[in-house]
Amino acid sequence: MKRNMAALLTVALLGLSLTACSSNDSPNNVKASSNSNANSDTPALTGDDLAFSKFPKPVDVHIGMVVDPTDKTLPEGDSVGNNPYTRYLKDKYNINVIVDWTAATGNDFKQKVSLTIASGKLPDGMVVDDRSFMTKAASSGLLYDITDIFQQYQSSQVKDIMASTDGRALENASYKGKMVALPNITVDTDGVHVLWIRKDWLDKLKLPVPKTVSDIEKTAKAFIDNKLGGANTIGIAGPSKNSFPYSTFLVSSNNMGGFDPIFGAMDAYPGYWLDNGDGTVSYGTTTENTKKTLALLADWYKKGLIDPEVGTRDNVGDPINANQTGIFFGPWWNGGYGNGDSFKNDPTANWQAYPVYSDDNKWNAHMKTTGSTYTVISKNAKPDVVKAIMIMNNALVRDESTFDLSVNVGWYPLRNVMAAANETEYEYAELLKVLKGETQPEDYNKPNSLYKLMYADAKKVKDVIKPPYDDLNVSNFSTANFGDFQRLYSIMIGDRPFTTVPIDKKVYSVTYNQTPTMETKWANLKKMEDETVMKIILGQASIDSFDQFVKDWKSQGGDEITKEVAELLKK
Amino acid sequence: MRKLGHQKHYYLMLMPGMVWLVMFSIVPMFGILMAFQNYNPGSGLFKSEWVGMDNFKYMFQLNDSKTVIVNTFIIAIGKIVFNLFVPLVFAILLNELRNLRYKKLVQTVVYLPHFLSWVIMSTIVIGIFGYYGVVNTVIGMFGHDPKLFMADAGIFRQLIIGTDVWKEFGYNAIIFLAALTGINLNLYEAAAIDGANRWQLIRHVTLPALTTTVVLLGVLSLGNVLNAGFDQVYNLYNPLVYSTGDILDTWVYRLGLQNLQFSLATAAGLFKSVISFVLIFISYRLAYRYADYTVF
Amino acid sequence: MVRNTTLGSRTFEIANIIVLGLLVISCVYPLWYTFCVSISDKAAANSGLVTIYPIGFSLTPYKEIINDGRFFNAFWISIQRTVLGTGFSLLMTVLMAYPLARPKKDFKMRNTFMWILVFCMLFNGGLIPWYLTIQNYHLINTIWALVLGGGVPVFDVILIMNFFRNLPKELNEAAVVDGAGPWSILFRVYIPCSIPVLAAVALFLSVYHWNEFFNGLVLMNTADKYPLQTYIQQLVVNIPVGTSLTPEQYKKLSELSNRTLNSAKVFIAMVPMLVVYPFLQRYFVSGIMLGAVKE
Repeated sequence: MKRNMAALLTVALLGLSLTACSSNDSPNNVKASSNSNANSDTPALTGDDLAFSKFPKPVDVHIGMVVDPTDKTLPEGDSVGNNPYTRYLKDKYNINVIVDWTAATGNDFKQKVSLTIASGKLPDGMVVDDRSFMTKAASSGLLYDITDIFQQYQSSQVKDIMASTDGRALENASYKGKMVALPNITVDTDGVHVLWIRKDWLDKLKLPVPKTVSDIEKTAKAFIDNKLGGANTIGIAGPSKNSFPYSTFLVSSNNMGGFDPIFGAMDAYPGYWLDNGDGTVSYGTTTENTKKTLALLADWYKKGLIDPEVGTRDNVGDPINANQTGIFFGPWWNGGYGNGDSFKNDPTANWQAYPVYSDDNKWNAHMKTTGSTYTVISKNAKPDVVKAIMIMNNALVRDESTFDLSVNVGWYPLRNVMAAANETEYEYAELLKVLKGETQPEDYNKPNSLYKLMYADAKKVKDVIKPPYDDLNVSNFSTANFGDFQRLYSIMIGDRPFTTVPIDKKVYSVTYNQTPTMETKWANLKKMEDETVMKIILGQASIDSFDQFVKDWKSQGGDEITKEVAELLKK
Repeated sequence: MRKLGHQKHYYLMLMPGMVWLVMFSIVPMFGILMAFQNYNPGSGLFKSEWVGMDNFKYMFQLNDSKTVIVNTFIIAIGKIVFNLFVPLVFAILLNELRNLRYKKLVQTVVYLPHFLSWVIMSTIVIGIFGYYGVVNTVIGMFGHDPKLFMADAGIFRQLIIGTDVWKEFGYNAIIFLAALTGINLNLYEAAAIDGANRWQLIRHVTLPALTTTVVLLGVLSLGNVLNAGFDQVYNLYNPLVYSTGDILDTWVYRLGLQNLQFSLATAAGLFKSVISFVLIFISYRLAYRYADYTVF
Repeated sequence: MVRNTTLGSRTFEIANIIVLGLLVISCVYPLWYTFCVSISDKAAANSGLVTIYPIGFSLTPYKEIINDGRFFNAFWISIQRTVLGTGFSLLMTVLMAYPLARPKKDFKMRNTFMWILVFCMLFNGGLIPWYLTIQNYHLINTIWALVLGGGVPVFDVILIMNFFRNLPKELNEAAVVDGAGPWSILFRVYIPCSIPVLAAVALFLSVYHWNEFFNGLVLMNTADKYPLQTYIQQLVVNIPVGTSLTPEQYKKLSELSNRTLNSAKVFIAMVPMLVVYPFLQRYFVSGIMLGAVKE
């Protein structure tokens, strides 16, 4: 109890300084807080006092939740509705979490959410992983307009993180001008895809790090010819049956095993809506450069450089983890977090990350939107319940780094990650300072920091990474605590290109959301696109079928949608 | 008088089942209304906007609808034909076996796959036809390059039909084996005395005895031409083979539970029901007329 | 049986034995394959090297399963569901089959009811209305949703009905003369005469309940209520099209891809069917014969 009081006090003090600059933010603020006072008997709190306030009476929050069917971190006797995180919420905020339903990650969860929306009976809160679910629920009038309550109840940290996106996150979570969801906000680097390569294999063959597309081709061939991954060595891993050759405007990040950097190096941005600079837009997939890149990939496939099972594997990670392959593409966390088994199977697997350059030595990268999952709140939720959900989010952002992660933090109810857009870059730079002794871990002990995991990482980094620090290889890392190893490997190796190498051309999509016509026609067009692209790569269709695809795509709604997207440009 | 008394009991006996049908089959049928609405979950079934036949019109405009209807027909008809033909041949071959213990063993083993679910079978099929699966190992021995069977839209239908026939042939043969046991042995003896060889025996004695069964089964399976097997396809397909492998049932599933197009999904489902109903009705008449068989 | 000993005939017989032998192998192979993967070395299995014999040897998956409460929980739910569901549906089916087997002159509404049944077999409101209905009955997340969801399998009603119709009319007439009412005719005369076909239908029903995964997925709200097939189905992960993953999610998914463990689970899930069906073989063989083919 004493400890709680102390915590509250610190929070209150910190909160004060921040409310000073935020209170005259919007007129809504005043109106909303007077509303809330009518509902509860608490004295008028503002800022972080309010954002972390404890309810006088228990508030029941019903949720639907995604779970990991294989997770074994819950202690004996605990359950999805009763675990360290729910007890934390109960003790600190008097929030009672009641889990109405759970479903496994992936299709099962999607299906459950669909049924929930179809029945019109949403739980108070759930996190959906597809914007179209959010908009469907919103257009059916099933969602709570949280505009005012969010303004009033967001913690200063959440506010800063939202601000770090220049309003993109808010727009993303809004439907017809009303905020209807808490958006997740992920680091920008999630959308920047790089080349992951086995440096130890390169060294074995005395090869330089490949820079361009033709370098990669030579390297992949060398890996195969020398059977570095055993008899069935795969040159370049590719997408599985559930993932894609490139990320798109709707799913603009985290495309492990795609070919995004290859497209970028060919100045092609399939899946993105490109601003032509003259008031028109074009869809990246339909461009000449995309066609050229597809021809190249088809050639690679034919030469046996790309995984023969591309497009049908259950899992992108299989050949990577089995150390059958030495090359794949993906964002910063793909090495470390993404391929843990690879290190377990071969501790010398020295995966390194590099940009892929165009022939004129440019690094082109497409950039992601702010986030793609949404905490939606039922229209029928009581105001106190909505407030409780805001508080749950605030608490997660502030306290996630202090939780005992021996119980997977995925069990935190309605967990929807909010991170500052440049968190990883910040951590990379600061952790390097810690390693070099320029700063001390205690320098980062700031409870309300925007960079919420920094302090915890700073304390660990010297245990995991051993000198010398100027050229980090897998041999520098200790895998004693595997979770820590994965995180720090991803940051220090995986994010190095994005932090230290300037991108020559950053490409944003004109929109990252669906236009009205897309709601009915996009699924069909997308299917056609996916089929054409994969078939061309696999050699099941000739590259000439690309032109027919472009024609069909345009006539079956593509032109209409292109016009709608061009309209967005005018705004 | 007594008969009327019996009628009362007949109603009583039917009652639990009818109550179930009303509760679990007829009540949900009101959902068919969705097919004529732009269903809005917030407003519910009775307050959503009515759109007449728009969903059906839209459905037939979609390229997908043509694709899935064609796929469904091809896969379902392929299954019907081969699920008649293969078990028939198998039953005849089995009937020719002399060693009764071997016969018994074969019979017992071939029924086995029928009892395993597609959830289980699909993991096995994907394993066997995978890039490093047994099929590719065999192909490799003959010097051919391995193939990606599960991603090849050109052979996905054959794969679906083939694995289904493989899973069911033993079980489907039961009915033919039953018919074969009904053949009078004297017929064989008489024919053999006339100097008929084995092939002639099969052709003139065995096959004619099976004709009725084959015709009847063929007619009765007419109602299945839109049932291409949801469980099987759902567990085996991937986006690469949608062009040939996507069927009505899986399409309806994705429309409803992944794309949230509730009304369109219901319209597509209703379309399937109506066609099936007509076909069943036809097969009922045909079976009655040509085989003198009352189905129900 | 006639002995035919020409050379062609011999050749045919040998070829026949071989062909049927290959068919037998093809039906046993799935079991063998699953078993091989389940006891092979994890890395070998994951890179698909296991084909016709195990590579390496490890019982780890089986040890893991023994300690996995969720697997046995799902197994137990499947057993409950199969027993309750089969019992419920069988009772419904028999009760409906008997009146429908009466000729029209005995039971005037017979054809009307028959067509209602067929109509219900073919038409449905689709998945979503069906889900909403069951939700309104408050059956979601209870085993009764799975038990009752199987309900009245019209196909089996027709099967039993046809069998009843083919029983000698004298049976019915004699009982009526003895003063027996419909209930005692059904339970004392018809059912005892129909054991093979009822056993066959019971087998069909239990196979359905044991193998069904989709209802389990849709109607159950929490994983601890999943029947076995649903539990296995969700292990073979599908990442839906159009989802972006966070690092943690991805990590979980790659852990899911564990072929040896999954194969061990699949193998154990097959066992009950393997144990049960050879014993019931003669019943389903005769059941199909008698119910489906009218002389």
